[in-house]
Amino acid sequence: MALADLGSAFLLASLVLVALGAGAGVVAGRRDDAPLARVARRAFYAGTVGLAGASAVLLAALLGRDFSIAYVFEHTDRSLSTALTAAAFYGGQEGSLLYWALLLAALGSASLAAGASSSVRMTAFATAVLAGIVGFFLVVMVFVASPFALLPVSPADGLGLNPLLRDGGMLIHPPFLLAGYSAFAVPFAFAIAALLAGRYDAAWVAHTRRYALLAWGLQGVGLTLGMWWAYHVLGWGGYWGWDPVENAALMPWLATTAYIHSAQVQEHRGTLRAWNFGLVIAAFLLSILGTFLVRSGILPSVHTFAVSPLGPWFFGFLVAAVAVSGAALARRSGQLRSPEPVEAAASREGAFLLQNVLLVALTAAILWGTLLPLLSGMTGRELVVGAPYYERAGAPIMLALLALLAAGPLLPWRRLRGGWLRLLRWQLAAAALTSAALLAAGARQPGALVALPLVAAGLATCLAEYGRGAAFARRLSGPWPVAAMRVLARNRRRYGAYLAHAGILLVAAGLVGSHVWQQSRQVTLRPGESVTVGSHTLTYEGMASQTSGDHGELLARLQLGDATLEPARLTYPSLGGQAVTRVAIRSTPIDDVYVVLAGADARSATMTIYVNPLVTWIWVGGALLVAGVLLGNLVRPEAEVERAPARLGAAAAVR
Amino acid sequence: MSSLKWLGLGVVVAACVGYLVVSATGSSAEYYQTIAEMRGHGGSGDVRVLGTVQDDVVRSDGGLHVRFTAAQDGQTMPVDYRGTVPDIFRPGTQVVVDGHMGSDGVFHARTLEAKCPSKFSSAQAQGTPTG
Repeated sequence: MALADLGSAFLLASLVLVALGAGAGVVAGRRDDAPLARVARRAFYAGTVGLAGASAVLLAALLGRDFSIAYVFEHTDRSLSTALTAAAFYGGQEGSLLYWALLLAALGSASLAAGASSSVRMTAFATAVLAGIVGFFLVVMVFVASPFALLPVSPADGLGLNPLLRDGGMLIHPPFLLAGYSAFAVPFAFAIAALLAGRYDAAWVAHTRRYALLAWGLQGVGLTLGMWWAYHVLGWGGYWGWDPVENAALMPWLATTAYIHSAQVQEHRGTLRAWNFGLVIAAFLLSILGTFLVRSGILPSVHTFAVSPLGPWFFGFLVAAVAVSGAALARRSGQLRSPEPVEAAASREGAFLLQNVLLVALTAAILWGTLLPLLSGMTGRELVVGAPYYERAGAPIMLALLALLAAGPLLPWRRLRGGWLRLLRWQLAAAALTSAALLAAGARQPGALVALPLVAAGLATCLAEYGRGAAFARRLSGPWPVAAMRVLARNRRRYGAYLAHAGILLVAAGLVGSHVWQQSRQVTLRPGESVTVGSHTLTYEGMASQTSGDHGELLARLQLGDATLEPARLTYPSLGGQAVTRVAIRSTPIDDVYVVLAGADARSATMTIYVNPLVTWIWVGGALLVAGVLLGNLVRPEAEVERAPARLGAAAAVR
Repeated sequence: MSSLKWLGLGVVVAACVGYLVVSATGSSAEYYQTIAEMRGHGGSGDVRVLGTVQDDVVRSDGGLHVRFTAAQDGQTMPVDYRGTVPDIFRPGTQVVVDGHMGSDGVFHARTLEAKCPSKFSSAQAQGTPTG
């Protein structure tokens, strides 16, 4: 009782403070009033503290099993482990709103503190925009969906968590995705502030680059972990279903991918101003649109978990955000003309522009597929598209992007001098070798024969860049490893980017391999019988059943070479006999053998066996992507001068 | 490069993407219908239908073959599906089936997806428990 009141008080105080911050920020921005801007910022910081207080109260209520609070009652029970009980903080509707608002307020505070010295007007407007967004979440939590709502009676135990979600993936996947969603607001706030303050130079781009990368990295981790969870827990042999909820998380990530590249064009060449504003605004609007689609239940999705009365609130917020961004862009459209257009298509900026167009096209194609049921439903019969649509529309665009990953980083700024053949000799060699190897190994699928050589060419580009740095380090004084580390440290941004590129390429290899070469068989086996799928032979040895904790386990034992696989079905009597599959996976760099048990009795067991080639590389690539972001993201803006010679400079240094 | 050339390039790219989207939509879009609508329209081709699983579930073939009745708004239809059945499939679950109505009056489902019941209130649980 007292805890709930304390939490509500924190939320209300936080709302008052951010409202003050928003109002003071707007006035300070208009008047160029530095002291008032400071007041606005401090009100925002204090609001952040209030949110931290409310979060601490909710955590205390969860861990203290205070079932008088509806949120605690609905999402936990006494049998749940401490880690999962704490994870319930972001596991439900109201708690996830609090978590989102807290992260946004904390990231926003950090970005405001770092930018306070730059421009009074821009920081004041950015404070107002951030406070407005955090304020929206607080209004929802205070008036509509409070995490501290009380039950009329205090039950002895809670409702608990579904067994599908009682998994490590539940602990780590949602917080990353929610953090990514919340972080898209920081670049958006500074973009709108730059427009309102009339600052069109690259200052806002430089200031928000790290936050855009952070949002991109967090969302990338969230998406990868989501695929990992779906693959390891759900047991349908795949990792991505093109469900609206998945698309909603992917689209802002794609738009931000475009932005972190086009931002470099603005930093280097001063062009693409309006385009960059557009991309950052689009990424944020897509993240809100996605949240609206997910929580309103307006689209046919297998994820109905988050459907709630909050849909109209998010729709209203989306409309307001579109109106504010549209008005800010329209007001400044005349002044946003870039000073010079891109000189030549065969240049670094030309490659970035093409990559941007392709990413926007991909995002648009996904948006169309996602919204089709809504749009067609308005005009007549409701139409839906599934995976085949996304594969047909998306695959050619993704192949073009793979080609750009190989060629783009090699192109110099302004224009290419010299021939393509010389520029791409290593990449062409790598692609040719890969094609030959694939053909020799008997691969005939056109998808793999086009995509995997492109991946090899892209990896050649990344390796060449690292090789060039290593060669350069050899000519520096001192021992080579020390010199190499110094070159790496001084060019973290560049080498981080190539590491992330390599990660994306490995993910692409995994997607292509598992898509083109997946094999599956459904079999019923008696003990001692064998089945061959692809190049793997599995022998069924027998079944066992046991009780463990709150569930019963039925497991089948299969021999695969030296390895034993034990797929199982878990039954939870306390949850009405709900059954959950536990997949058995044997992973190697070449392929995964993935076994799902459908059922078993004394005589035989029925199971589905998948062979999924190259899936491991998706997880390896995801890890490299994170490493690349960490490497490139830790750079302080003033250290971002390109010190080591770029490729042409390196060649000159040899002579 | 002149802005006219850029404009031309933009038009070409937009036309390509537009073609991709339109052709992919045309070849893979399905109607999402209620049971009543599907009975009304008849016709051929695959459709997607939402329904609630009734109590007459019959599993065979080690659990890889199910027959059941799906109901929605007072209308029912028998469904026949072969493949991996989602964990949460059981009487009372809402399912989305993809397939066609056979001449035998049975809906032959190519895929069967189960909707997570509202008890699954996870903020961002991902993944599609499809067959």
